[in-house]
Amino acid sequence: MRARLPLVIVALASLGATFVLLPVVALFVRAPWNRLAGALSGVGASTALRLSIEVSLAATAISVAVGVPLAWVLARGEFPGRSLLRAAVVLPIVLPPVVGGVGLLVALGRSGVVGRWLHDALGIQLTFTTAGAVVATTFVSMPLVVLATEAGLRGLDLRYERAAAAMGGSAWYVFRRVTLPMVAPQLAAGAVLTWARALGEFGATITFAGNLAGRTQTMPLAVFEARQIDPGGAIVLSLILVVVSVSVLVALGGRLTGLR
Amino acid sequence: MRKTIAIATLLVAAGCSGTSSSGSAASSALTVFAASSLTAAFERIGSDFAAANPGITVTFNFGSSTDLASQIQSEGTADVFASASGTAMDAVASDPGVADRTDFATNRLVIVTPPDDPAGISSIADLAKPGVQLVLAAKGVPVGDYARQALTSAGLLSAAMQNVVSNEDDDASVVAKITSGEADAGIVYASDVATAGNTVRSVTIPTAVNVVASYPIAVVAGSPQTEAAMSFLNEVIGVTGQATLKDSGFGPAA
Repeated sequence: MRARLPLVIVALASLGATFVLLPVVALFVRAPWNRLAGALSGVGASTALRLSIEVSLAATAISVAVGVPLAWVLARGEFPGRSLLRAAVVLPIVLPPVVGGVGLLVALGRSGVVGRWLHDALGIQLTFTTAGAVVATTFVSMPLVVLATEAGLRGLDLRYERAAAAMGGSAWYVFRRVTLPMVAPQLAAGAVLTWARALGEFGATITFAGNLAGRTQTMPLAVFEARQIDPGGAIVLSLILVVVSVSVLVALGGRLTGLR
Repeated sequence: MRKTIAIATLLVAAGCSGTSSSGSAASSALTVFAASSLTAAFERIGSDFAAANPGITVTFNFGSSTDLASQIQSEGTADVFASASGTAMDAVASDPGVADRTDFATNRLVIVTPPDDPAGISSIADLAKPGVQLVLAAKGVPVGDYARQALTSAGLLSAAMQNVVSNEDDDASVVAKITSGEADAGIVYASDVATAGNTVRSVTIPTAVNVVASYPIAVVAGSPQTEAAMSFLNEVIGVTGQATLKDSGFGPAA
């Protein structure tokens, strides 16, 4: 027997759905369909899209590689300042990305606190490079996989890990063969959210890495620049981003977002 | 069911009345859309104007002239438009239309470098030296187009474009990349250098290849307060306005 939803809730939900969908629908309505091909080539869509995919995947890989261990430390570690560390890790979600970009600039820029040393001693410059775009994107999107994985770790039944350890498994073995498989769904959901956030990253990237086609100009930056020259092209680029994001999110569906 | 509709109607009504009341409240407030290069000068002119006209409050919206022009076309909320380019003003003049259009200032291009000049820039030709990290405003942004024009006149465009590491949204963003020491050189307006002070070093671009940008100002058609808009425009082209613009690095109208 299915309960009928109260009409008030349905009405408010419709309002919410309309609000979210309206801009996307408007993009489709206003897209210059009659000169789609021209608009596509004019704004360098394929270069920007390829760069966006590369940067977002690299940022996701780095986020998982260091974010999952970080989540483990936050979930299992017993040390003073742990809640402070968690707040710091979550900070990039709350901060305006441009603030993150400025922070990265004074930290890792050519004349930044650490960046000065990187530049003078090792000849490494991150600003205006694809690596810099990955750094900025990782900074903004990593907290999502950390939070999701930490929540997963906290929900685990510790007896499995204790049993594995009692049977002689080393800490590393238990983490790899017991803990990690058990948090895989949350980790995967977090990784998808991280990737989605990385694909949309704009503020930190343009502030820290600049905006150059083929090097640091990801899709959001290309949309931003196209507005100046070709508003129709900006709409086409936006639509591509919408289509790519929706396709991936729908394809992964409930399986990876943890909502079955 | 009836209750639901009542709530929905209430919500819609609340939304509508919110917009209309803010629209009518704007009758005593003047909205001026101005190119971001005018920020420092217009804020001073605005406070001088407010002091002389206690009945009128002036609100500024600074941004790239191209962006402002498209905002005016889609939203139509500006009473006065001061543009860094004739092109952006032309767009507004054709839709929704302008009145009393006049050029009120000029701006030259200059090269800016960090104070310690890491790449050794002493002329526009140095911008084409291999390895110089050059930052320009993007194509379509007036100062970005003017910079490309100057580089073309100097016969340096293709070599200099090899050195471009970032296309920024406006002149202020170009200056930011220079003051932070990330890039070696940028091309901005003389007025930007007046604002940035000693956080940047400037190198002049010879008159022969320099681009002199003319700044037009006009009352936007459909402004509900043409009179107040006109008196602001007069403040800008008047003696005090022109003196403020001169202090901010602008030249007189050509």
